[in-house]
Amino acid sequence: MAVSDGLKTEHLNIGYDSDLIRDICIEVLPGRIVTLIGPNGSGKTTLLKTLTGELAVRGGIVYLDGKDKSCMSSYDVARALSMVMTEKIRPELMSCREVVEVGRYPYTGRLGLLSDEDRKKVCDAMEKTDITSLADSFFTELSDGQKQRVLLAKALCQEPEVLILDEPTSFLDIRYKIDLLDKIRSFAKEKNIAVLMSLHELDIARKISDTVVAVGEGRILKVGSPREVCSENFIRKLYSIEDVNSDLLGSGYWEDEPDAEGHGEASDQGSFRDGNSVAETCKEETSDAGSVMTGASPADKGRKARVIMIQGTMSNAGKSLVAAGLCRIFSNDGFLVAPFKSQNMALNSYITDEGLEMGRAQVVQAECARIRPMAEMNPILLKPTSSMGSQVIVNGRVIGNMKAMDYFRHKKDYIPEIMAAYDRLSEIADIIVVEGAGSPVELNLKSGDIVNMGLAEMIDAPVLLVGDIDRGGIFPQLLGTLDLLTEDERKRVKGLIVNKFRGDGRLFESGIRILEDRGGAPVLGVVPYMDLKIDDEDSLSDRFSNTRVGEFDIAVIKLRAISNFTDFDTFDQIPEVSVRYIDDPSRLGDPDILIIPGSKNTIGDLRELKSSGLFDAIIRKAKEGTVIFGICGGYQMLGETVEDPECSEIGGSEEGLGLLPVRTVMGNDKVRNIYNGKISGATGVLSGSKGLPVTGYEIHMGETVPLKPLTEFTSGGTGYCLGNIYGTYVHGFFDGGAVLKKIAETVALSRGKSITTGAVEDYRDRKETVYDKLAENLKNSLDMDRIYKILGLER
Amino acid sequence: MTRKRIIIFFTICILLLLLLFAANILLGSTAVSVSEIMSILGGREVGTNAVIILGIRLPRAVSAVVLGGALALSGYLLQTFFSNPIVGPYVLGISSGAKLCVALMMIFFLSRGRSIGLAAMILSAFIGSLIVMSFVLVISVKVRSMGILVVCGIMIGYICSAVTDFVVTFADDSNIVNLHNWSMGSLSGIGWREIRVFTVVILLCVILALSIVKPMNAYRLGENYARNAGVNIRLLRVILILVSSLLAACVTAFAGPISFVGIAVPHLVRSSLKTDRAGVVIPAAFLGGAMITLFSDAIARTVFAPTEVSISSVTALLLVPVVIYVMMNRKKDR
Repeated sequence: MAVSDGLKTEHLNIGYDSDLIRDICIEVLPGRIVTLIGPNGSGKTTLLKTLTGELAVRGGIVYLDGKDKSCMSSYDVARALSMVMTEKIRPELMSCREVVEVGRYPYTGRLGLLSDEDRKKVCDAMEKTDITSLADSFFTELSDGQKQRVLLAKALCQEPEVLILDEPTSFLDIRYKIDLLDKIRSFAKEKNIAVLMSLHELDIARKISDTVVAVGEGRILKVGSPREVCSENFIRKLYSIEDVNSDLLGSGYWEDEPDAEGHGEASDQGSFRDGNSVAETCKEETSDAGSVMTGASPADKGRKARVIMIQGTMSNAGKSLVAAGLCRIFSNDGFLVAPFKSQNMALNSYITDEGLEMGRAQVVQAECARIRPMAEMNPILLKPTSSMGSQVIVNGRVIGNMKAMDYFRHKKDYIPEIMAAYDRLSEIADIIVVEGAGSPVELNLKSGDIVNMGLAEMIDAPVLLVGDIDRGGIFPQLLGTLDLLTEDERKRVKGLIVNKFRGDGRLFESGIRILEDRGGAPVLGVVPYMDLKIDDEDSLSDRFSNTRVGEFDIAVIKLRAISNFTDFDTFDQIPEVSVRYIDDPSRLGDPDILIIPGSKNTIGDLRELKSSGLFDAIIRKAKEGTVIFGICGGYQMLGETVEDPECSEIGGSEEGLGLLPVRTVMGNDKVRNIYNGKISGATGVLSGSKGLPVTGYEIHMGETVPLKPLTEFTSGGTGYCLGNIYGTYVHGFFDGGAVLKKIAETVALSRGKSITTGAVEDYRDRKETVYDKLAENLKNSLDMDRIYKILGLER
Repeated sequence: MTRKRIIIFFTICILLLLLLFAANILLGSTAVSVSEIMSILGGREVGTNAVIILGIRLPRAVSAVVLGGALALSGYLLQTFFSNPIVGPYVLGISSGAKLCVALMMIFFLSRGRSIGLAAMILSAFIGSLIVMSFVLVISVKVRSMGILVVCGIMIGYICSAVTDFVVTFADDSNIVNLHNWSMGSLSGIGWREIRVFTVVILLCVILALSIVKPMNAYRLGENYARNAGVNIRLLRVILILVSSLLAACVTAFAGPISFVGIAVPHLVRSSLKTDRAGVVIPAAFLGGAMITLFSDAIARTVFAPTEVSISSVTALLLVPVVIYVMMNRKKDR
């Protein structure tokens, strides 16, 4: 049997005095995370202890980095395998630095003296785990979370091939848990470490693992992708909770049954075909051994999404639109689709519901794919700040500013982030539509490419090359690009697309023949020129940091825990409107409409408003008669008090703005509703908007009741108003065309301003129409059967 | 920061040690002036005072330094072995075991009309300490609680002492009076010949201890993490047991059981150094043990002069509060 790197066991028997589990065959490849789950006492820890050498191997072989562990010297083992176990250690008067230094011992001489290089590695490891500030504190004085990080640093500076962790997150609160696991995940990818750990938190295990191994009933019950293993039925059986129906079991605990989904099958087959042969060999051999045993090969990812990549001959060749259209077509055909572009360069970004930034093109594509936009779809976003440099945003979070040259030099460092984001998408989607950037043959920038052919290679994607005939030179565009590609890269190009053709596509038939003859790749279609109103990345201002005050000014209070940014996208339809996010009272100005958005932490944000001075500023504006909207959390803040007796957010109670005589009590029941109602009454400036239909959704924890008779604003008791103060729980309140038009016009009128609302439609409807038209056009002009064949799928 | 502390610690220790050494030579029931001592040490004077200084006080001070240091080191190694700061050769009964064995051996030899040789003495003490040590090890495997382990060690110590007392009481030879003195713990009557022998043995032990500094440091994280750092746990444990037993045996063979130096000194050293690095604590504990023993011996023979108090009584008075303090401050028993 072939022996690979990482960690591998063959027919391993484990146990204390007698065999607890026999015939274990698992494999952890470098860079992969394999998680053991199973009830207490099932043998997870026993297995880990056997692998670390704390318990003797009772039979079988453990391979470390391809070598039989029992034949390796103790220092060789130490250099290949490090661990963080659950046992509590209390080294007296030992500083964290000393603890971490122990990790270097396998590399030192007789006296254990550290070289400068060793010291540097110790410092590096401490930096990576954020414990540099603790270096000189005594280990025994740290909190559990800090201790775990110190031990992780120790394990890391041991520079292992294999990292073994036994319930690394027990005793940790959620913050440390996430922090620690994030680190483990990034180390696994960065340093190409094979990680084997046991976890009790299934929801976390599901998200972090490449492979999950379920241990129970004295054997390995199941090995596979998180999706395969964490199905509800199986998990209930594993933990013997078939009949337990407690509300403590949230839905986050298990995956839906994979079989329940129509497209599960295709990807499962894929996984078996891709699957490492080791797993199968092991299976064969067990049948005569009589006990169940399965091979876990991390390459065997249960849900390997199909992928297709769209590259262009130049910027603006229409890659984004083709990708968006394909997303909609695949989605129409019943597939779960996710768009992906490893790196976007754009001035403006979109803020996801989690408050993460991503490029707008992938948002449009996500909407086409009918999937929630996720920062993973655009792991790297560069926002130019000057002609020389850019703000670098990785997975939605700003990590700093970089000069173009520095970025070019460092971009390879982001490969793990890109791949992790891609892997996460590939776990949820059937098809990933990847968009390249610019041209794939910018020869001076080609080394270390992570957006075009470099990425295609990493994710093994077939490529469709799009050329723009409208700007002329379609032959040099397509044939020249093909010519400049290397042999291997050329093989990746499975088809050509001629985009933006004006007129009858049949007129280009001779051109198609020339392209196919000389290019050696089939032309999959000639796409007509489309004049579609779709969010163009560069036409929109940067939402978050926009300071432009337009003719009609809307100020949105930028709460720290702001949620559902997308509530205000709809205002983009009115050209005169500017939406500014305000976190400083001095920048409030004189807005036409002031909006307090939703919050994930109403009481905390209220307190923050008070300390920043915005609290008083808002009350001042209210006295001046400014139209103020409170949406969801913002609505709660408008009231007299917000109380959180059950600590569903942070607990306590806080006095609100007192602009609406309502009182909010947070409860633990989360309201999640699609809302279909109307404006049942309105006071103040908007009194004429009574009766307009409102659609949207409610998602909140609290209940808000009026303290005295009030005019109901949105029907069903979801909002009340008084004067020019309007509160509602309905997210997406402004999305309805009629509501938006009426409100904007009325307020503009009262302020003596004029705005053009002619183009205003129901925001979502408008977009849907455009997307469908795009898909329709593409479908008619592209050879979809061929594209599905390239994907390896049957329609 | 730590480096500075270490340098200061060692400087003070060495100065104090020199001071104490000088005081020990100066003090005694016979007054000998400094200038006289200088000329005696220079070999320019012979006579009663020269015999007192060269034959009694000087060897006694040297033994205090070497044996005291050995005792503290033995305690430190045991504390590392058990990962427990409240163990030492005395509380674990190892000293008493050595004592019993030496007493039996002495009586055996005396009954044959022969006096016991130095090598036989060390050997029997070593065997005695190993026997008790193996008892303690068996107990430590059975009970995980370090508190109970210490109680068991003390009990074993009592049994050994009791047996020694029986043996001494019922032995009839007048020489055994000496044995009684010895079994109470005393640095008196150690000659240069003995010093030469045990200094060599103890020096070997110190070198061995210094050679396992690296695995000892890793061992502080517990057996499993140490193994994970590539430490050969079994070898380390064997060396720790053998060296600490041999050190304790040496001390007991020549000075009888001296209580609490082994348990308290490493703790005092650690807490003043604010580190537990074996490479630093091993020499520091040796120095500390030497100092405390010199100081205690000075008290033992001068306070009630000409009557001599057992050195164990002095060390107990001085060090038991330290031990109690350590025990009270231990957060949890394992």
